[in-house]
Amino acid sequence: MEVKINKGITINKNNKVNNIIKKDKYTKIVHAFAYVFIGLFALACLVPFILMVSASFSTETIITKTGFGILPKGFTTAAYDLIFKSPRVLIGSYCVTIIMTVCGTIVGLFIVAMTGYALQRKDFPYANKILFFIYFTTLFSAGLAPTYLWVTQFLNLKDSYLAVFLQLLMSPWLIILMKNFVKSIPYEITESGKMDGAGDFRIFVSLILPMLKPALATIGLFLALGYWNEWYNSMLYLSSSVEYKPLQNYLYGVINQAQALKNSVAGANVPAGALPTQTLKMATAVLATGPIIFLYPFVQKYFIAGITVGAVKG
Amino acid sequence: MSKIGRKVLTALLIGAMAFSMVGCGAGSKSTSASSTTSVKSDGSIDTSQHVKVKFVVLGNKPTNGRLESAMEKVNEKLKEKVNAELEIQYVEWADWQTQYNLLLASGDSSIDLITTATDWLDAWPNIKKGSFMPLSEDMLKTYAPKTFESVSQEHWNQCKYDGKIYLIPEDNYTQYTNHGMYYRGDWAKEFGLGDINNFQDMGKYLQGVKDKKTGVIPWDVSGTAANGNALAGGYINSNTKNIVIDGIPIGLSTLFYGKSKDDLYTLTSPYMEGTTFDDFATLMKSWSDAGYWREDVLNYDGTTRDLMYAGQSGADQHHSQTYYTDARPNMDKKQPGSDLKMFPFSEPSKNLVKTVITHGALAIGANSKNPERALMIYDLLRNDKEIYRLYNYGIEGKDYVVTSEGKLGRPDGWDKTKDALDTNFWCGRNDKLELIDTNWFSGRDEMIKNYNTYAIEYPYGQFIFDNSKVTTEIAAMADVCAKYIPKIAFGKVTDPKAEVSAFREELKAAGYQKVFDEIQTQLKASKK
Amino acid sequence: MRKDATEITNLQLERVRKKTFWKKIKDNRTLLLMCSPAIIFFLVFSYCPMPGAYIAFTDFNYKSGIFGSKFVGFDNFKFLVQSGSLWLLTRNTILYNLAFIILGNALQILVAILLNEAKNKIFKKVSQTIMFLPYFISAVLVGLLAFNILNYDFGFLNTAIKFFGGDPLKVYAMPNAWWIIIVLVNLWQGTGYGSIVYFATICGIDSSIVEAAEVDGANVIQRIRYIILPSLKPTAIILFLFAIGGIMKGNFGLFYNLVGSSNSMLFPTTDIIETYVYRTLMNSFNFANSTAVGLYQSVFGFALVMIANWIVKKIDEEYALF
Repeated sequence: MEVKINKGITINKNNKVNNIIKKDKYTKIVHAFAYVFIGLFALACLVPFILMVSASFSTETIITKTGFGILPKGFTTAAYDLIFKSPRVLIGSYCVTIIMTVCGTIVGLFIVAMTGYALQRKDFPYANKILFFIYFTTLFSAGLAPTYLWVTQFLNLKDSYLAVFLQLLMSPWLIILMKNFVKSIPYEITESGKMDGAGDFRIFVSLILPMLKPALATIGLFLALGYWNEWYNSMLYLSSSVEYKPLQNYLYGVINQAQALKNSVAGANVPAGALPTQTLKMATAVLATGPIIFLYPFVQKYFIAGITVGAVKG
Repeated sequence: MSKIGRKVLTALLIGAMAFSMVGCGAGSKSTSASSTTSVKSDGSIDTSQHVKVKFVVLGNKPTNGRLESAMEKVNEKLKEKVNAELEIQYVEWADWQTQYNLLLASGDSSIDLITTATDWLDAWPNIKKGSFMPLSEDMLKTYAPKTFESVSQEHWNQCKYDGKIYLIPEDNYTQYTNHGMYYRGDWAKEFGLGDINNFQDMGKYLQGVKDKKTGVIPWDVSGTAANGNALAGGYINSNTKNIVIDGIPIGLSTLFYGKSKDDLYTLTSPYMEGTTFDDFATLMKSWSDAGYWREDVLNYDGTTRDLMYAGQSGADQHHSQTYYTDARPNMDKKQPGSDLKMFPFSEPSKNLVKTVITHGALAIGANSKNPERALMIYDLLRNDKEIYRLYNYGIEGKDYVVTSEGKLGRPDGWDKTKDALDTNFWCGRNDKLELIDTNWFSGRDEMIKNYNTYAIEYPYGQFIFDNSKVTTEIAAMADVCAKYIPKIAFGKVTDPKAEVSAFREELKAAGYQKVFDEIQTQLKASKK
Repeated sequence: MRKDATEITNLQLERVRKKTFWKKIKDNRTLLLMCSPAIIFFLVFSYCPMPGAYIAFTDFNYKSGIFGSKFVGFDNFKFLVQSGSLWLLTRNTILYNLAFIILGNALQILVAILLNEAKNKIFKKVSQTIMFLPYFISAVLVGLLAFNILNYDFGFLNTAIKFFGGDPLKVYAMPNAWWIIIVLVNLWQGTGYGSIVYFATICGIDSSIVEAAEVDGANVIQRIRYIILPSLKPTAIILFLFAIGGIMKGNFGLFYNLVGSSNSMLFPTTDIIETYVYRTLMNSFNFANSTAVGLYQSVFGFALVMIANWIVKKIDEEYALF
């Protein structure tokens, strides 16, 4: 039986059922089950967020006494007011994250695309060797301790944003994914460029890149998401002497370290012990995550494209 | 496969070459470039080159702007006197043990001055690891003459390793840093309790808070490893005559003690021997079950002191110096009438060791580029009256005032939790220049007098343990301690006795006996 | 005579080969240059630290550096094995990954099939978007959301339990509950995302086959069993095998943020290789032990990938990695 695996981006191809064919009783049950199950699962995906948002708009004392709920308890914007009274650290974190994300995505994307193009050129004799060179790093890695020592001692990048920025620029998977995307562009394009006397780089920039728009969007978004959600490298390499940490690391501090929570609203001069800890944490979390939740529905199709293309040939 | 094998080999070789080349470089990092400070032919010091000196201290960086204002003035003076300026780098309390050791591990060459301590900041292990620069007597005499004069030869001897001086002790400052529990006197009275001086009574107090004070957590402690170890250590202090031996950290724990002040050179570990640790585990389980701290204490991070000030925690844990300079005055302001008292862990057993002179000590970073100028700055910070006051108290009139009795007062409206300078100069305070703070607890002198009647000098000042033969075992034991002590200390176990047995079994498997024997041998040999 | 001829030819061939080598580089220099940033990147960040794995065999002292520290052979490994740590970590890592792979893929297939059966377009689109949401948030947030639900004092779970008159659960003190919790959270985060591949495959099934089956009188269950599932089999197998190759690796972010760094009560059931490596490095500065476990993971993992690849090759040459 032939099975096609879609490489395309659109996936909502409906299976139409002919009216002529009887609907058997199983169909009804299965359909009902489908709606219920999927519905419940979707709800389960949504509820934790609702809890968090509700809590951020609740009164601290009620929450700590009676717990989280679906609806805000004692509706108040107190936590947000507190943050906006002293938003310096939050804004700083946002700036750092946005700059890193934008720069990292642009630079990384360019390098990944360039490399992906070169590697799929059948007339490039070194392609396979380089591909293996890159791919091998997924099979065997030095480990955390040697990498840590290397980055801090020898590259001297402790407390530098570069320690975070550089390491997220690309990954083997993205390069291979890009290579697969570029493969679908016919070699004739490159050939015609060569006949016009253009060099490989020129061909890449003027002819190939414009045709790669969907691929660039997909890979770019993966890169951007990686930068936006980054907290691990920040935790390793950025100590407390770095004032503005990437957003998720900042959130980590606020959630897990009482002192960081205090510092996050330091300018508002709240007397000790009067911090609305839980609601403040929730409000910070909402502010740190908000953009992602609002943006992702618009770009999810690019992620889907990435998965489907990538899953076929790893 | 050989094709792949060859590629792998090539890659590894390239990597190895790169690594070892740079590795060699890193090793010789400590060779200094030309010094920034030197002695001229006529004997005076050449400070023509302006340098920035970095001082690493522990604490949370203040955000109230007072530090910046004071430092401006301090740096004016420093520029005048030694053509240098001082920059403070804070290792914040969140995760301080990790951050402090990581900072040293990275061999940062921008560290000039750094606060350290032999009892709580692992000075000896760090000296052995080569984190600090040896200070020759010449260096000290030339660049920190006043300090050199003021420290006795005997005290200098206690700062030596392998014949070289590495630390400048804070040896002329009266303080007691023995730990204990803070509790509210007013509530204790309510519960019909007098002064609390042992764990059993403390339990009764906590129960009282649980029963009678709604909305207050008896002791809202964070279940960190540091707090767990402190609690265990406190219990041992209260119930045995054992004396802690500094400089042998097992991860974040201290396992090894001398038997008693009359039997100093017999090694023991109350964690392994006797029933003390079992009793501790059982008691803590009962405390946990009774709800004296949060259910999720091991995942909880809160600032207990602040909560106590806000009336939301009934107790806190720290030492005497903090009590009479900080906690008690603040409680009197924030919770008037609370009559905060302290139950020192040393009280029931009268087992008290005076604060060792290297509880606060200054060291110079091994890769510092300006050690001479750094020493000169330290000398001024410690001995120059004007700079001492600026650095420790701030700008006169704004941050502090000198009362008619020559004591330290604060301007109206000054709130320690909001306006403090927090330069945390815990390695060079000086009784000669120190102003007694009028805000300090008036009972301070009495407390100190009481302690002085039975406290002994730290007996192991000259004993520095050489762990080179047992580093693997110690690392393994550190793992075991990290696994068991926090949960035992906070009672998060089903069967305390079984847990303690398991802990001991694993410690033995990790090589406890070998380490014990090694320490005992060296300890006996250090007997003078 | 012939011998001389062969010698001359060999020499000539040598010279030609050398010339061709540099010529080849010259001809391809642009493409090589284009690859150079990536090559440098991996060289610097992946290959250069590799010799550092040597630390695993030393009594590491950062003053002496990596190659100056005392060599202790397998001592570090000896302790890890004797204390049972290595076994515990391996067991946890593998068990969790097996659960993630098997249950994860099963749930993803189920969701894909059900999503396909639900005919309402809007419902499909909306629910897919919602199910995709957990994939986009950071591990830090996942930990927070879990804490909001599970914590003792005011977690949503206990609020609900108390509402129905039950006794609140001390979840963070119940090591065995976490097998379920972590797997559930992982499923929560990854199902929406992972079901996409399967859903795409189902959508790609030739609709004429499906219609033909319906005309033949096959009901829904039969359709699923005989058409849809078999079509998913190749994808599932490939994904499964590749996942097995990565079975020694763990999702550090997930475990670290859910369990916390100091709740040692939960470690016996929640500690995986990656969290142990991290803690040993950052909390105990025990470079040697941390590297030893990391090395063990890399070597073991590498072997597994090789085996997995060999099996895949046997099944369908096209899908093998090399």
